Amino acid sequence: MYSLPNRRNFLKATGVSLALPWLEAFAENPAVGPPRRMVCICTPLSLHPANFFPKDTGRDYIATPYLETMQNLRNDFTVISGLAHPDVGSSHDSIYSFLTAAPHPERRDGFRNSISLDQFAASHIGGQTRFPSLALSCEGFSLSWTRSGAVVPSDSFPSSVFAKLFLEGRPDEVQGQVNRLRNGRSILDSIGGQAKSLQPNLGTADKGKLEEYFTSVRELEQALAVSEQWSKKPKPKVEVAPPVNIANSADVAGKARLMFDLIHLALQTDSSRLITLLLLGTSLVPPIAGVNLGHHDLSHHGQDPAKIAQLKTVETEKMKTFADFLTKLKNSKEQDSNLLDRTSVFFSSNLGNASSHSTRNLPVILAGGGYKHGQHLAFDPINPPPLSNLYVSMLQRTGIKVDKFGSSTGTLRGIDFAS
Amino acid sequence: MMNALLNKLSPPTLGQPMQFIFSLIRTTTLALICFTNFVFAQESKSNLLDSFEKHIRPTLVKHCYSCHSQSVDKPKGDFRIDTLTTNFNDNTSKDAWPLVLKQIKSGEMPPKTKSKPSETELKLVSEWINSGIKIAKEKRTSEGRTVLRRLNRIEYENTMRDLLGVTVELKELLPPDSSSNGFDNIGEALHTSTFLMDKYLEGAEKGLNLAIANLPQPPLIKKRYSLKDMHPVKNSTEKVFRLQDDGEVICFSSSAWNAVGLTSFYPPDRGKYRFRISSSGFQSSSKPVTFRIDAGVMGMVGKSHLLGYFDASPDKPTVLEFVEELEARGTIRILPYGLSGAQTVNKIGADKYEGAGLAVQWVDVEGPLYESWPPESHRKIFSNLPTKAAPTYNFSKRVEVSSDNPEADAEKIIRDFARRAFRRKVSDQEIQPFLNLVKTKLNEKVSFEQAIRVGLMGILVSKDFLFLNEKPGKLDDFSLASRLSYFLWSTMPDDELLHLAEQNKLSDAKTLKDQVERMLKNPKASAFTENFVGQWLGLREIDSTIPSHILYPEFDEMLKSSMLKETYLFFEEVLKNNLSITNFVASDFSMLNNRLAKHYNIPNVEGWEFRKVNLPKDSHRGGLLTMASVCKVTANGTYTSPIIRGVWVLERILGTPPPRPPEGIAAVEPDIRGATTIREQLAKHRSVSSCATCHIKIDPPGFALESFDVIGGYREFYRTSGNGKPILIEGKRMPYLQGKPIDPSDVFDDKKFSNIDEFKKLLLLNKDQIARALTERLVTYATGATYNSLDQSEIELIVQKIQSKDYGLKTLIQEMVVSDLFRNK
Repeated sequence: MYSLPNRRNFLKATGVSLALPWLEAFAENPAVGPPRRMVCICTPLSLHPANFFPKDTGRDYIATPYLETMQNLRNDFTVISGLAHPDVGSSHDSIYSFLTAAPHPERRDGFRNSISLDQFAASHIGGQTRFPSLALSCEGFSLSWTRSGAVVPSDSFPSSVFAKLFLEGRPDEVQGQVNRLRNGRSILDSIGGQAKSLQPNLGTADKGKLEEYFTSVRELEQALAVSEQWSKKPKPKVEVAPPVNIANSADVAGKARLMFDLIHLALQTDSSRLITLLLLGTSLVPPIAGVNLGHHDLSHHGQDPAKIAQLKTVETEKMKTFADFLTKLKNSKEQDSNLLDRTSVFFSSNLGNASSHSTRNLPVILAGGGYKHGQHLAFDPINPPPLSNLYVSMLQRTGIKVDKFGSSTGTLRGIDFAS
Repeated sequence: MMNALLNKLSPPTLGQPMQFIFSLIRTTTLALICFTNFVFAQESKSNLLDSFEKHIRPTLVKHCYSCHSQSVDKPKGDFRIDTLTTNFNDNTSKDAWPLVLKQIKSGEMPPKTKSKPSETELKLVSEWINSGIKIAKEKRTSEGRTVLRRLNRIEYENTMRDLLGVTVELKELLPPDSSSNGFDNIGEALHTSTFLMDKYLEGAEKGLNLAIANLPQPPLIKKRYSLKDMHPVKNSTEKVFRLQDDGEVICFSSSAWNAVGLTSFYPPDRGKYRFRISSSGFQSSSKPVTFRIDAGVMGMVGKSHLLGYFDASPDKPTVLEFVEELEARGTIRILPYGLSGAQTVNKIGADKYEGAGLAVQWVDVEGPLYESWPPESHRKIFSNLPTKAAPTYNFSKRVEVSSDNPEADAEKIIRDFARRAFRRKVSDQEIQPFLNLVKTKLNEKVSFEQAIRVGLMGILVSKDFLFLNEKPGKLDDFSLASRLSYFLWSTMPDDELLHLAEQNKLSDAKTLKDQVERMLKNPKASAFTENFVGQWLGLREIDSTIPSHILYPEFDEMLKSSMLKETYLFFEEVLKNNLSITNFVASDFSMLNNRLAKHYNIPNVEGWEFRKVNLPKDSHRGGLLTMASVCKVTANGTYTSPIIRGVWVLERILGTPPPRPPEGIAAVEPDIRGATTIREQLAKHRSVSSCATCHIKIDPPGFALESFDVIGGYREFYRTSGNGKPILIEGKRMPYLQGKPIDPSDVFDDKKFSNIDEFKKLLLLNKDQIARALTERLVTYATGATYNSLDQSEIELIVQKIQSKDYGLKTLIQEMVVSDLFRNK
């Protein structure tokens, strides 16, 4: 029933030997079909625009060097140009608003983040899987934010993500975990009880902070109760060796591959349907042949052709890891469909041009998910629709009935469902 | 009282035209307060709104809306008056209204071409704005400036360390904290989430696991090692080590792969280990030989960190001793710095090599060190309660604390722990929930220790532990102790502070000042330097770019470490000796070691050790602006931008941040191919009037700093990778070329300067403004609350006080600590 991707060591023979919860639902009601999912990826130092954006638009665009890496998948993605978040100014700080569209992260003072796309979706459909969402990162920062604007900590070690998803532990460890969850609940329950005895003379801002604290306490207690239920069910078994973390903190491509492989596994086992991934963008020299300058330094190329050439080498490697990920999803059959067709994969950057820290004209690829693909959808970079419009389209595709997210003004025109 | 004092003050003089809409607000508010009559003094919020609609809006519509409202496509100066609210506690409105008044009063607005408001209109508007400010002040008094503040992750880690008495790495466990106004300890910006709470549970468990001893004392390792037995020496295929008969090893190569790990030392237990290293400089022409030590778990899966650089004295062996906390299987690694590379040594062979080397006679290791067992961290929680066997299948010798009188013992343990964790007295009622937790667990037949652990974890995730407990109004002594302690130590108060608080003695001004003096002498005060200075100057960003090795081949890890150390030591030197804060702009000394002195072209400084060095007159150094660290964090790895550096100086040193750039303007993209200089690219800024109004202030400090490259080297020419002259240094052709010459001259505040030295003199013309800017930063950091225009009058009082004391930094901190801003919520 599952085709086995046969590339690379990790994931050499992925087999999923557990009946998936959605399959049971499907057995009862075949109209349900495999679940819809969403994966959002950010590459933090952007992509050199000249090597990314095609000059011509529509279905017959000529592939640029970066899109060349994805030509096998030409009808499985749409490349979009011109989009941006309104009110997000030029700065690396735009990463805060990448999936939230919160205005003016670059001002820092007074900036308050809002809920990210994945967490918003998780609040609707998160309860159906062991992990409502997964926030993954190759470098430690996170793309995911809560409703109150607190960061959702990301996992940056593939081996521990793998353990969390698939490894059972010894019976005493499992019991230890159950006890831990139970103790945690008792503690939170006791603390939550203190909410009643609050000082009456607090100002509104202080009250807000305490409410945030007690809401967190209450919601964590509920989350632990759900975890306790899941902890009694066996985890899905996958017949692959656990990944080995990459120690070289400059390894852009290697780290990306490990994370992409994990995401593939997580989707395939229906461990989570909502995943964010922040790729690597450091000041270090990536271990790629022909590259001897730091990645961040290269992105500030100052028009030096030698630097742009090295940048192209790095970014091409990165694009290849993404293309391979999509291929892997496509090769994973699921009922009459495949994983890619059921997963909206959003790939972009918080910067449109890293050299000038511009946040206009972001490089966007929308892949999979069952849209009508195969074109270059171009918007006027001077006056584009908000990127959040695409987010609304993606939410709707994922089966969430909303017509507003972030700074959206509607859905993104030109993005149509295939079925 | 306040008004009387205020009336004596003259408004701060900046001597500059009102060019910046937002930047000068803070310096103008005081002027307003001085001529306040408070006719709307009895106003409440609601009739503030009424009177606005009745009297004020019509005037504004008449005189302002035609340029500053929705009705125009592009509001002039990007400033809209119609969006300001009548809520003076809303930060934007609070700061913008005084500006409106200032502009009308001074006659700058409406422009001369438009009709003037009448005297009556003017009076109404000014009285209305003043009463708005008054209401905002009253609200601030009743609710406090500081919003309920959660410990940030640095404070959390330090507090857990001091509360539990163990070194425990928790910072990385928690998600990064948000910052506001440049600091990560601002209550308003710190949020709590389910994810964070989950991590706090994990952190509590991790901390308690380390603090509580469930196993017998780990066996002591006490051993002398010779480097000759270590893998890197034994297995080296290069002839870079000379082995002497007595076990001494001479390391000649500074190549990274020739670092010698103490591989035979492979401790099975975590803990504190004492290292003693005997070393000397070999064939080093009577100069010390510097070496670096890294510590941690080496290899693919481990995490090691730079412990530091050290000097080996020439010829005569000396012993370096230090104690380091190591994880199980952790060790150290030694590598000489600045000697030849492996290739050079290998060609000749270590036995015949005549260059300098690092001789290591032996390395002694002893540990893990405990004064007693169970360790103090354990006894701090359980006193001397007995233990009994509690084996698990993989730990047969495991024990647990037991009690014959569980309820009474639990009460004592919980009460004592809560008091320390909450940093104040606790009532019976407050500890009841935690006691109940323990009792419930005991009733579930959980062991005594396990039940206590659950109670302790409850305390460690409770709001009283995680938040700073400050009630509106004047802080009580315990809250004051915490505020002071988190300000200067980034951790909980120690016994002396808590003792003073218990006796209600801390709020006495003299006691407070004495405590500042005492606390600054404590090693924990390094947290103040790292966290305050690290954020004030942006030094935490030091790693965000690595300089291009083609343009800056001389950059290395040691230079980077030295840069940071210079700035931190310099700040501490000024603080310790109560020197004037004007030293931050210009000083005749700095703190240097050999590496930095070489970088700065200052002769006769040998070795890694830092010392106070008097700067030669023509060094162009002195003060913070020209420090390599500051030059580095204000540049990327390739080029400098006068705009970024200019904004940095305006924001962080002058306290007059420029307005934000207009929307939709792309940043200037420098071109390092050598054809144009940044000054040529920026020329447009001066010729287009809408740009010039701001850039006439932003660019000059940046141009003055153009004499310093991205790593803070002094330069007269740009380095380029494109068109330029080849450069030879010590006979070696550099990988970069000499580009166009630097022009560091410009006009600042209507006065010409030709280089950085003259620019610094111009900055020092307004010492009050330098003091004001630093005070604002200090107040923000110390109180965990964003500075705003309502704080202006109290800031002025502090500036006044230090004026007569030559702007001493310690005096500034002491005066700030006894000010109302610090002593009230």
